[in-house]
Amino acid sequence: MRVIIVDDEALARGVVREYLDEHPDVEIVAECGNGFEAVKAITELEPDLVFLDIQMPKLDGFEVAELAAGKARFIFATAYDQYAIKAFEFHALDYLLKPFSQQRFDQALAHARANLGNAGAAQAETAMAREAVARNKPVGRVLIRDGAKVHVIASEKIDYIEAQDDYVQIRSEGKSYLKNQSMAELESQLAPEQFLRIHRSYIVNIECVARIEQATRDSHVAILKDDTRLPISRTGYQKIRAVVQ
Amino acid sequence: MQGLFSSRRGLTVYLLVWLFLGVALGGVVTLSGAAPLVNGLLFAVPVCLFYAFAAGYSAYYLCRAYPLGSPKTGTIPLVFTVAAVVASGLWLTIAQAWNALCQLFSVNWAGIAITPPLAALVVGLGILLYGFAAAVHYVVIEFLRASGAEQRSLEARLMAQDAELRMLRTQIDPHFLFNSLNSISALTSQDAKAARRMTLELASFFRQSLGMEAHKKVTLGEEMVLIRHFLAIEQVRFGERLQVEEAVEDDALACLVPPMIIQPLVENAVKHGIGNLPEGGCVKVMARRAASVLHIRVENAVDVDLPPPRAQGSGIGLANVRQRLAAAYQHEASIHWARQGASFSVEIAMPAETLNEGT
Repeated sequence: MRVIIVDDEALARGVVREYLDEHPDVEIVAECGNGFEAVKAITELEPDLVFLDIQMPKLDGFEVAELAAGKARFIFATAYDQYAIKAFEFHALDYLLKPFSQQRFDQALAHARANLGNAGAAQAETAMAREAVARNKPVGRVLIRDGAKVHVIASEKIDYIEAQDDYVQIRSEGKSYLKNQSMAELESQLAPEQFLRIHRSYIVNIECVARIEQATRDSHVAILKDDTRLPISRTGYQKIRAVVQ
Repeated sequence: MQGLFSSRRGLTVYLLVWLFLGVALGGVVTLSGAAPLVNGLLFAVPVCLFYAFAAGYSAYYLCRAYPLGSPKTGTIPLVFTVAAVVASGLWLTIAQAWNALCQLFSVNWAGIAITPPLAALVVGLGILLYGFAAAVHYVVIEFLRASGAEQRSLEARLMAQDAELRMLRTQIDPHFLFNSLNSISALTSQDAKAARRMTLELASFFRQSLGMEAHKKVTLGEEMVLIRHFLAIEQVRFGERLQVEEAVEDDALACLVPPMIIQPLVENAVKHGIGNLPEGGCVKVMARRAASVLHIRVENAVDVDLPPPRAQGSGIGLANVRQRLAAAYQHEASIHWARQGASFSVEIAMPAETLNEGT
């Protein structure tokens, strides 16, 4: 079995490494000290199991689990007991409370072994992680995994979001990012007082709207500060009129 | 017996007033030509002192039974008028009895002739003095009640402060403690000596912080000892990632500060600053005394990519410190925080007090 240990504290990684010594069939393929490294290592190395701390720099454990969902199964390890329920929403295999004993650790590992054969579970988990993230709205930032790279975009820096088949294209500071997510899901994660769904295919940041113009007799367009023109649907027009006056 | 008679001083003053009244009454008796001065005094002083107790006690109980501001307030004048008339009537009887007793020995320095005008004077005086005693009781009862309420509110405030400090302590407890124990658990097999050092630091930190009392200020030096224990423990956890710089001037060390006022700032600096940086950074604690003002500054590196207002966590800690400063110094203390680029700083200014300068 191939595992990755993710914790920002070297000593905490040491405990896991030491406990794993008892299990010669387990190979530690990487150790990561922050969320970015973790996502990169998990995507590239595709381990079976990841021991994941929650409080970490850059990306926390849940964000890592969301971005790398489907690539591996997770066991969370943290000193905070209040995240346990959230961890199981992410379909974690187990939740270790620091400090933990070798026995408790072995138990978690045995549980993981029993579940890893179950391939279908990993797919279901992707959806579970998504749902779990959606429930913890609104998010101050949007995370996009681009291969092994992670982009973190502060939500106030997003100009607008455009639907593209199964993806959404997020436009921020002149750059575009594709994310595998539905419009409705992303809309529910963004602060409703800042982002408006003005069209079936467009969510706009109200701050970026310069003015609204009449396009034809019964249709309107929003002109953004960088002169981008976005169509507004009839219901979208009512919504934006109520806010932009 | 409470109220006016609860303290020896109150009783002495009360009796002195009555003694003076007795002398005055004796004087009046003499001046009215009823008897020589000695006879007048021998009649008036004991009678007055007796009335002091009789009227004093009975008025006191009536005052307790009819407290001011109760629904029965309207009946108070009536009750006291009746009581005063009855009491002074009895007083006249007692005075006559005493006078008769004095006359029994038929010596020329005792006994007076109680004429009807004198009897009327005694009754009138009795009524007035009864009212006077009642008024004094009411004033004293109200005064005691007010000072009692003040003391209770003071005690309540102290208790609230203590509770707040306890809460602050439990705020540090769980995660800091569990993470530290996890580090110790790792060290026991990797470096047993370091594990022992960490245990000792942890013990010192908790012993000191648990021994602090909210209303007792500590010197900045003591607070810094606590902070050093805390940072030593966190340095084991974070390793190279946590660097510490301390610039506390000697004359600032002797200044008094509310206990655990800087520790939460340092804890925040580590948790929200260094804890979010993969490469770590530096926590700086600075303090200096400028004449009558003590300046304290805690500075730490932050992740520039993090959105600045992380509503939870740091906000609560800082609001708590601000509240405690306001409680201890009112408007004389201030706290400001600001984030500039990759650095976050909190600055406190408070009156510089030392043990020798009082307060």
